[in-house]
Amino acid sequence: MNKMMRRYVPFMKAGIQTLITYRLNFLGFVIGGLIYCFVMFYLWRSVFESNGGGMFLGFSMTDMVIFLFLSNTTGQLIFSSVGEQIGEEIRDGSITMRLLKPVNTDLSYLFAELGEVLMKVIVLLIPMVLGLEIYRFCVTGTLVFNPVNFLWYLLSAALAYLISFRVNLCFGFIAFYVKNLWGIGILKNSVIGFLSGSLIPLAFMPEGLRVCLEYLPFASMNYTPVMLYMGKYAAWEILFRIGLQIVWALLLFGLSKLIWFGAIKKLCIQGG
Amino acid sequence: MIYAEHLRKEFKKTVKSPGLKGSFKALFRPKKEIVVAAEDISFHVPEGEILGFIGPNGAGKSTVIKMLTGILTPTSGFCRINGKIPQNDRKKYVREIGAVFGQRTQLWWDLPLQETYLVLKEIYEVDDDRFQKRMAFLNEVLELESFIKSPVRTLSLGQRMRADIAASMLHSPKVLFLDEPTIGLDVVVKDNIRQAIMKINKEEKTTVILTTHDISDIELLCDRIVMIDKGKNVYDGSLRELRENFGQSRELIFETDPSATLTTDQFRNGLNLKGNDLVIEREKNTFKVRFNSAKIPVGKMLSYTLSLTKVKDISVKDADIEEIIRNLYRQGEFMDE
Repeated sequence: MNKMMRRYVPFMKAGIQTLITYRLNFLGFVIGGLIYCFVMFYLWRSVFESNGGGMFLGFSMTDMVIFLFLSNTTGQLIFSSVGEQIGEEIRDGSITMRLLKPVNTDLSYLFAELGEVLMKVIVLLIPMVLGLEIYRFCVTGTLVFNPVNFLWYLLSAALAYLISFRVNLCFGFIAFYVKNLWGIGILKNSVIGFLSGSLIPLAFMPEGLRVCLEYLPFASMNYTPVMLYMGKYAAWEILFRIGLQIVWALLLFGLSKLIWFGAIKKLCIQGG
Repeated sequence: MIYAEHLRKEFKKTVKSPGLKGSFKALFRPKKEIVVAAEDISFHVPEGEILGFIGPNGAGKSTVIKMLTGILTPTSGFCRINGKIPQNDRKKYVREIGAVFGQRTQLWWDLPLQETYLVLKEIYEVDDDRFQKRMAFLNEVLELESFIKSPVRTLSLGQRMRADIAASMLHSPKVLFLDEPTIGLDVVVKDNIRQAIMKINKEEKTTVILTTHDISDIELLCDRIVMIDKGKNVYDGSLRELRENFGQSRELIFETDPSATLTTDQFRNGLNLKGNDLVIEREKNTFKVRFNSAKIPVGKMLSYTLSLTKVKDISVKDADIEEIIRNLYRQGEFMDE
C-alpha cells in the first residue's frame, strides 16, 4: 500500500501543479459556474414567486438556493475530464508514452485528477458551504448546518467522483473505436447534466421518470450527495443511496476494465 | 536478448473517395481496407549490441518498435525480449526497458524538467543514492544543468530531446529503444546524444535498438544493421559486411581544364559498362566518376581517364555507407517493378 502510494502520489502532485500553472483557466471555470448558478437562481425565483412564494414540490426557496449552488459545486468537484484526455491522447498517439510506464493506466489518470479534486475541495467547496450557510443563517435566522449531513455529503461526493471518473473513462475508451470524441463528448455532457438532476431536481420530474433516473448511475453522481447535504433522506434511505452508489462504482469499475482489455488489443497508434 | 520472429501487423483503415461526396459516402458506408504495416520481420539482437534498425519512410520501423515495446499486439508472429513476451505483462515488462520516440515526449509538459525526473524516480523505484549518481552522470553527458528548472514546454527541441534521452536512461534499462532520437538536431546535440548512448552501452551493457535516417549515427554507433523495406527484411549483417558486399562502388574525382568533356556515354561505350556500374557527374571543372570496382579495377579506370584528357588533380573516395544504402533502397524499388 505504502509502495503504491509512493508511486502514484507524484501523479497527484503533478496534477496540482498543472492546475496551478493554468490557474486562470481554473478561475474561469469557477466564475462561469457561478454565473450559471445566478442565472438559474433568478429563473427559479420567478417560478417560486409566481407560485405565491411558498413551498414548491417540497422545496422552499432557501432549499432551492442551496440545491442550485451546491449541485453546481458538486458538479465541478466530480467533473472528470479523463475521457477527453484519453480521447486526445489516442487521437494524437501520445498514449504511447503512458503505456510505456510501469504503472496502472487507470490509476495514473485517477491520481493526476485527484490532485485537482483536492484543490477544488479547498478553494471551491469549503468557501461555497460557508457562504451558503451564512446565507441560510441570514434568511432563516437560525443556524441549520448539520455536520453529520456534511460528512455524509463528503462520503457520497467521493463515491460520486469515482462513478463520474469511471463513466468518463469508459467514454474515453470509445476513442479506441471512433478516434475522435468531440461530438460524442457534447452529447455525453448534456445527457449527464439532465439525467443526473443537476439541471432540474429529480424531485420535480414525473414520478415514473424520477424513480427510473434515481436508480441510474447519473443520479448517484450529483443528486444523491446534494440531497444528503440537505437532509432530504430518512436514515434507511441514506444507507440505501450510499449502497447504490457503491454498487454503481463497482459495476462501472468492472465495465471500464472490460472495455480496456478489449480496446488495448485493437489499439493502433496514429501519426508515426 | 531480443528475438523477433515473423512479426506481422495489419491495420484496418477506412478509405474515403476524394471530395465531399466521398466523405458522405464514407460516413454512411465506410469501406474498410487492410493495410499491412509490417509483413514479415525477423531478427535477433544479442545482449550489449547496438543495432541500427533502418529503412525508408513508411517501411514499418516504428510499427516494429511499437510491437517490441509492447504497445501494439502483432497480428501474427511474436517477439521475446529478455525472456518476456511484451504483450503478456506490460507493467512488468516496461520496467526493464527505456524508449524514446523522437516525435513525442515522455516529459511532463507543464512541470519543470526536474519534476519529471522525480516522478520517474518514484515510478521506477530508483533509490535516492542511485538517483543522485544517475542524475550526475546524465548531467555530465547531456548537459541538462542549464535548463533543468525550466518548464518542459519552454525547452528547445535540442534541450527537450536531451531531456527525453536522460528520462529513458534514468532507471538503467536493460534494453533501450530509440526511434529517431537525433531527428532535427544540430551537430553538437547529436554528438551529446551519441556520447550518452555509447557510454551507457559500454558501462552497463545496455542493448540498444536505434532507428535513424542519419547515416553518421549508424557509422558511429552501430555494430550491426537490420534494414527493412515495405514491411520485409532487406538486409541483416554487420556494417563491414555491407561495405564488402555492396560497397564495390568507388568514386574518382578529376579536376580538369575547363574545356574538357567527359560524358557517361563515352565511358560506357569505351569500357563496355552498363547502368549503375558507371555514372559521371560534372561540376564546373570537376568530374565525379562513380563506378563499380568489381567490374573495372580502379587502376584501369584511372589510366583510361588519363588517356582521354589532361588532369590537374585526382582524388579517390571510398564507398560511403549512405551511397550503399541508397543503392539498396533503389534495388528494392526495382525488384517491385
